[in-house]
Amino acid sequence: MTKYIIRRLIGLIPTLFIVVTISFFLIRIAPGGPFDAERRPPEQVMKNIQAKFHLDDPLHVQYLRYMGDIVRGDLGPSFRYQDHDVNYYIANSLPNSLLLGFIALGMALLLGVNAGIVSALNQNSWIDYVAMAIAIIGITVPLFVIGPVLMYFFALRWDILPTSGWITGRYGWVTIIMPAVTLAMQPFATIARLSRASMLEMLRSDFIRTAQSKGLRDSVIIRRHVLKGSLLPVVSYVGPAFASIVTGSVVVEQIFRVPGLGRFFVQSALNRDYTLIMGTVIVYSVILVLMNFIVDIIYSFLDPRITYK
Amino acid sequence: MSNNETNKKSRLQEGLQATNEFNQPVKGTSLYKDAWRRLKKNKMAIAGLVIVIIYSLLSLFAPILPIYSYKEQQMDHIHLPPSFGQTAGEQMMERKITELTTLAAKEGRVEWTKEDEQHIEQAVEEAREKFTDPSSAGGESLTRKEKDAIADVERQITRERRDIAVQEGRVNLNEEEKAELEALRERIANETEIIDGEEEKIHERTYLFGTDYLGRDMVARTIWGGQMSIAIGLIGGITSVFIGLFFGAIAGYVGGKTDYIIMRIVDIMYSMPYMMLVIILMALFGRSIILMFLALSLVSWLTVARVVRGQIISLKNSEYVEAARSMGAGSARIIFRHLVPNTFGIIIVYTTLRIPVFIQMEAFLSFLGLGISAPYASWGSLIGDAVEGMRAYPWRLFFPAVAMTIFLFAMNFLGDGLRDAFDPQSKNKL
Repeated sequence: MTKYIIRRLIGLIPTLFIVVTISFFLIRIAPGGPFDAERRPPEQVMKNIQAKFHLDDPLHVQYLRYMGDIVRGDLGPSFRYQDHDVNYYIANSLPNSLLLGFIALGMALLLGVNAGIVSALNQNSWIDYVAMAIAIIGITVPLFVIGPVLMYFFALRWDILPTSGWITGRYGWVTIIMPAVTLAMQPFATIARLSRASMLEMLRSDFIRTAQSKGLRDSVIIRRHVLKGSLLPVVSYVGPAFASIVTGSVVVEQIFRVPGLGRFFVQSALNRDYTLIMGTVIVYSVILVLMNFIVDIIYSFLDPRITYK
Repeated sequence: MSNNETNKKSRLQEGLQATNEFNQPVKGTSLYKDAWRRLKKNKMAIAGLVIVIIYSLLSLFAPILPIYSYKEQQMDHIHLPPSFGQTAGEQMMERKITELTTLAAKEGRVEWTKEDEQHIEQAVEEAREKFTDPSSAGGESLTRKEKDAIADVERQITRERRDIAVQEGRVNLNEEEKAELEALRERIANETEIIDGEEEKIHERTYLFGTDYLGRDMVARTIWGGQMSIAIGLIGGITSVFIGLFFGAIAGYVGGKTDYIIMRIVDIMYSMPYMMLVIILMALFGRSIILMFLALSLVSWLTVARVVRGQIISLKNSEYVEAARSMGAGSARIIFRHLVPNTFGIIIVYTTLRIPVFIQMEAFLSFLGLGISAPYASWGSLIGDAVEGMRAYPWRLFFPAVAMTIFLFAMNFLGDGLRDAFDPQSKNKL
């Protein structure tokens, strides 16, 4: 088992390596540089700046140096914001993004699984229809529509929630409600549909009929036999769900002005802030890849059919 | 062999009529006929199909529809709210009157009625009673704080009554302002502009969906934006399905090392944060539609490749493929002549399901300001533009969002219906 985990962990390295390499060279071949301002400084000053950030070296030397730096955990200085280095900005914004992401994921899982179970047990009842209608909305309506619409009604029209802000601000924890709901909508919908479908399949399977004919109580059957099997597809979806939450957070953080990593992402790419883009890409990739890895490990624990080779 | 031949001959004599075991003629059904029969039973899917057709016609005929231009800017018509019947000129007039009377009312040129005075007096009296502490014995002078509070109440009620007066038109405008209004009325009645070689009284327009921050018609922008979004979804969906089909078919048929390499590439790409890479790509290389297609197609063929590969593997050992091989057909012929047509059902389904995904991805990029750029519009860019001024101009958000949502719903129902129709035993009900 330990061997399996270690082997899987080593398997993550190529993916990360490819992501970092592709982004590094993509960023470098793009037209425009971080110091191409409207007012160019004198030639010599420009040269000094480039020398300071090692931009005058050949590309492969820059690449090797950068790889060496990130292995040591140093993401370099920001090219745009002179006060701090990239590590500082990420350390300050990542916790906010992670908090938002995990709250959204938790909401999606908790509500999604429950909605799926309740719908499956009451198939074709009004609860089922309502839950599945919400799920269809969550799947089809993109989050950049859900976000502004929620904001329009709950903040601007009815004045129940603040339009934007963060938990450290004066409104406190209620600020997280709208961004989290917006982010959770799509994974919630998918999880609800997934768990409903697999639950229905389980309920019709032979071993459940056997359990019923042996006289087991319904609640025991559902808790002991149905739930475990029908949650497997949900577990395997957690990886992609987290990926969609991470991507969505770029937009949601912009709509609700959350001080997270997402707002650096687009801005740093537009600014050609080489190290800050690389930093955000690396952090995002590591989180996604780790999340997938953890989900895989949990899955292999839950599913007895999977063996560790 | 000879037996077979006579059989064939007799069949030919019967005019190729297929029969069942009771020798009754039966009509052969193709995969498509079968699927269409099943689809027709699915009401939601048919509703989706109808909506998709309506949208497609609207987009297709956008250039000849009787709508205003999507890029023509009318500075007089900035941010007009949606209206049925009321013309732009009337809306402009109303806006000007409100503006002038509010200003005049603030300067105190209000015709106060008895009712107003009573209201104000009453409110002030109530406030005085409330703030006069009984223990401080009436008659004694109020503290400064209390006086301020009473003055606040008075100001508040006066403002409320003034707004009512403005609404009822009980405001005296001076000569200058009246002249201004008259000039505007004159201009609205007579001003024309030459558009497409024809003289048009621009202020007689009606904006059903309102206008945006440059005075552009939202009906036109929603329709043209829809055209852009649907076109991107269609082309992108088809491109990504074809790339996926190509690699999936090769991987599935050739197998071995080729299969391993292609599928490992797919696996690695799956675990990458590819939307992040697309965002970087768009931000770095500027906003071009071609690049966006390329970037989005590059990342969205993966699922199709996996599905097609699975299908091909299950088909490639079937008898008819063996027959084709024994007759000396080459790999390319077998793949693209025999195997791929058998995956068409899946491909139609996946293309329909890919289109809304593509539209969403494009809209996602446009929302971030990385997709379609002015003067063109897509639903995503319209929504993205509208979010800033949402409080004052909600119609700019509302119409594109609703148009897009309806289309995405329709596409999803149609896609689900098609999947059920082509593959009734489908396990992937998601």
